[in-house]
Amino acid sequence: MKLFSKERPEIPIVHHTKEDGSAWTIKEKLWLGLSVAEYKKQFFRNPVNWFMLMIFAIGIPLILGRYAFGLGWVTHASNDYPWGLFLGFGLFGMVPLSASGFMLGTTVELFGRKDFHSIERLALLNGLLGYFFAVLFLEVDLGMPWRLPYPMFVSLGPAAVLFLVAWHVATYLSVQIAEVLPAFFEWIGWLKGKRIIRKYVLGLTVAGIILSTLHQGALGALFTYAPAKVHPLWVSSNFQWIHFFVSSIFGGLSMVIIASTLIKNYMGWRCDDDFKNNLDYVTIGMAKGASLAMITYLVVKLVAVAHDQEWTYLLTGWGSYYMLELGVAVVLPMFMFAFGVRNNWVTLIRFGAFIAAIGIIWNRLNTALVCFNWQMYQEIPHWKEVWITVTIYALYFLTYRFIVYRLPIVYEWKGER
Amino acid sequence: MLRRKTIMRTALALTTGAILFAPGQLLSMEAEDAPETVTIDSLASLYEPVEFNHLMHVDYASCAECHHHTTGVKVADPNCIRCHANTPEGDDVTCVGCHEADRFGKKYLAELDNPVLYHIDKPGLKGAYHLNCIGCHQIIDGPTGCTDCHAMTEAGEKRFNTGEYAPKGGAVSESHH
Amino acid sequence: MKKLNRRSFIKGGLATTAAAMVVKEKTSAASGDFDNYPEGMGVIVDLTRCVGCRSCEAACNKEQDLPEPAVPFDDFSVFDHMHHGEKRRTDETAYTVVNRYDTPEIDHPLFRKIQCNHCNEPACLTSCFVNAYTKTPEGAVIYNAKVCVGCRTCMVACPFYIPTFKYSSAFTPRIMKCIFCYDTRLKNGQPPACVEACPQEALTFGRRKDVLKIGKQRIRETPGKYVDHIYGEHEVGGTAWMYLSSVPFDKVGFDTHVPKEPIINSVKEFLAMVPMVLTIWPGLFVGFHLLATRKDKVKEMEKEAELKKAKENDEKEEQV
Repeated sequence: MKLFSKERPEIPIVHHTKEDGSAWTIKEKLWLGLSVAEYKKQFFRNPVNWFMLMIFAIGIPLILGRYAFGLGWVTHASNDYPWGLFLGFGLFGMVPLSASGFMLGTTVELFGRKDFHSIERLALLNGLLGYFFAVLFLEVDLGMPWRLPYPMFVSLGPAAVLFLVAWHVATYLSVQIAEVLPAFFEWIGWLKGKRIIRKYVLGLTVAGIILSTLHQGALGALFTYAPAKVHPLWVSSNFQWIHFFVSSIFGGLSMVIIASTLIKNYMGWRCDDDFKNNLDYVTIGMAKGASLAMITYLVVKLVAVAHDQEWTYLLTGWGSYYMLELGVAVVLPMFMFAFGVRNNWVTLIRFGAFIAAIGIIWNRLNTALVCFNWQMYQEIPHWKEVWITVTIYALYFLTYRFIVYRLPIVYEWKGER
Repeated sequence: MLRRKTIMRTALALTTGAILFAPGQLLSMEAEDAPETVTIDSLASLYEPVEFNHLMHVDYASCAECHHHTTGVKVADPNCIRCHANTPEGDDVTCVGCHEADRFGKKYLAELDNPVLYHIDKPGLKGAYHLNCIGCHQIIDGPTGCTDCHAMTEAGEKRFNTGEYAPKGGAVSESHH
Repeated sequence: MKKLNRRSFIKGGLATTAAAMVVKEKTSAASGDFDNYPEGMGVIVDLTRCVGCRSCEAACNKEQDLPEPAVPFDDFSVFDHMHHGEKRRTDETAYTVVNRYDTPEIDHPLFRKIQCNHCNEPACLTSCFVNAYTKTPEGAVIYNAKVCVGCRTCMVACPFYIPTFKYSSAFTPRIMKCIFCYDTRLKNGQPPACVEACPQEALTFGRRKDVLKIGKQRIRETPGKYVDHIYGEHEVGGTAWMYLSSVPFDKVGFDTHVPKEPIINSVKEFLAMVPMVLTIWPGLFVGFHLLATRKDKVKEMEKEAELKKAKENDEKEEQV
């Protein structure tokens, strides 16, 4: 795309009309203004796509196999570890990394920080896609995926934490669709739709905060159902939901920093000057927010250890692992953020964000898999399970890229808005 | 189980005289009065009936060890002595006389409503047999395996998936991963 | 995921709020004095009586129509079978299993039967978001496969590792778990198949309160035989199936670290917070919004005022 965008002035598409005054059709917009041959050429020139195809070549048959032969065919089918990578990574890991939508929505729309406007749409999209794919992961993991609407409409168990998660993720997903729709409406040129949504932005944003607070916390609260199974350092009946909620704040922010870094470096043709010029500034701003969330998180973690009288656990091997997790996944990136903010060292922040995001995944995998059944053996996921997880993540990556290539996420629509 | 009431009644009559001449003694039966073998078959379904050699067991244990206080012999258990120190021999010394074959039936559940009932924990017939036999066999190294005392019937083989009904295919995959 | 238009979104929001209220009601009921079912049935398992004959396993297999076992039920080599360093556990082919424990305290092995303990306040039930579990007045915790989604939260929540999943099935997977023979026996006042099959009467069936009394009587009247504890009397809020043992319970595979309260109690902190967030957040954040954008508004108003003044001035100047 970089090459094409240099050669042809009308690409990338940022306007309803071509240079000669005729309108782009939706089909043309979908093909990025390229001919099919050109599109193919640019697609296969990219080594990333070859890598993706390799993953899909094995991953898609595996997914089909999962639906044909059951979960036992792709996972270790463990009764001791009912939740494996699909949920440990896909649900518990993806959801906190998608907290970006409500974070920046709140910053821009509620707190009126218009200076973060250039990153808002990316953050909203990051949130929407993260949730959507978390649900997709869930659909791979559920024993009866066709019964997904059951907790909503067929048989309700409202006293369960998962009931809250289901309802909130579902409604929040719709809120996020509504929040991302304006970009889509601009792109297809249906401005009325955009105006309608514009009216409800405040309501949607507030709904976003409520739903996010609750279900991010609820994902943590799910583990309080297993107080005797999860290692005491990783579960706290009083603070678990706060741990999950607060860590989702810096998780979501870190994920937006990562996404924006990748987009800036590998999709420069798609960004407009506003996005590019503002990026360092908003990155520093987000790092500031993230480091504040991190210090809060560390304090609440400490309070939880003190409250539950778990000091002696810190002296065991598990305690060392716990300190290692906190040190590498939180303290280290926190200092990287703080140092980066103070010295305007954006590259350091970006590395820090990468570590923090991996750190969130690590924490969730620790809670769901490593420190779960800590007095028992350790379950190692089946290779097929790992491959399917990677496949769905690759699909997430492709969808993400597909949308950013097209919709006005990191650029402003030049046509009528 | 063989009903031995008649035999016991006869035994009772025979011993009455002796007891009259020894009023200080507790009323008690003599082991020799018991039958040589008892066929225990009332519960047989998964296993064949047991041919119980009563005569042989008389050498190993006192009457009270199996028959509690019913034979009139003084029991050793301090708990039982509290009430049964002077209980005379009973009309019925059979197991089934006290231990119900229908262990957890409606009658039992109703009985437990009685607030002053002491014997709330009386084993059923099957429990009485096995607890008594195996309990002792474990101590004196007697046979304790199921088929040491009673062979399995076809119904039993079916129930236990063994013998004729053993799982086919030999090495079945170990319990799933 | 379903795509919602705005109206259904609002409906959804309402339902969520309503749901949160239900959550609260339920919580306060559970936190107080949920009486359970006083006439519920129970079983007391006496480890000192069990001889490991596996009759209960065989009976369960036939009663519940479970798959043919890998090895015959009179094959005792299964007691040596270890999987990931763990003894046998329930799985989709067995609702109950017996394990052997060799303890230094006594010269002969002890055997422990495991099955669903049928908690008074079951974690599987309280964690299920489709209400697939029911605690019946008879004491059984039963499961409805027709509404189950297969999320396996019940398996995570069960402190005894009892519910298992039929991972082998692609189209009709379900939770597989002991149901106290509810459908076929308990409902009619009969004991479950395992109890009936036990030759040693290691399993004593009756109303929970009665078998508890029986257990206590055994401890009291045979001093030294049992440890002075009935596992399940208070564990996780009490279970319908309880255990007596002659050695400390942690020596025979019991988790003695399970909480004494129902599992749901450790989730309450979060559940109690839900209605608060739902009611306070909207006002709080709209307030923040108004505060945060106040300066802009003030500026806007000032600007307007200035413009007005300028206009007036202009007009005045014109007039002059």
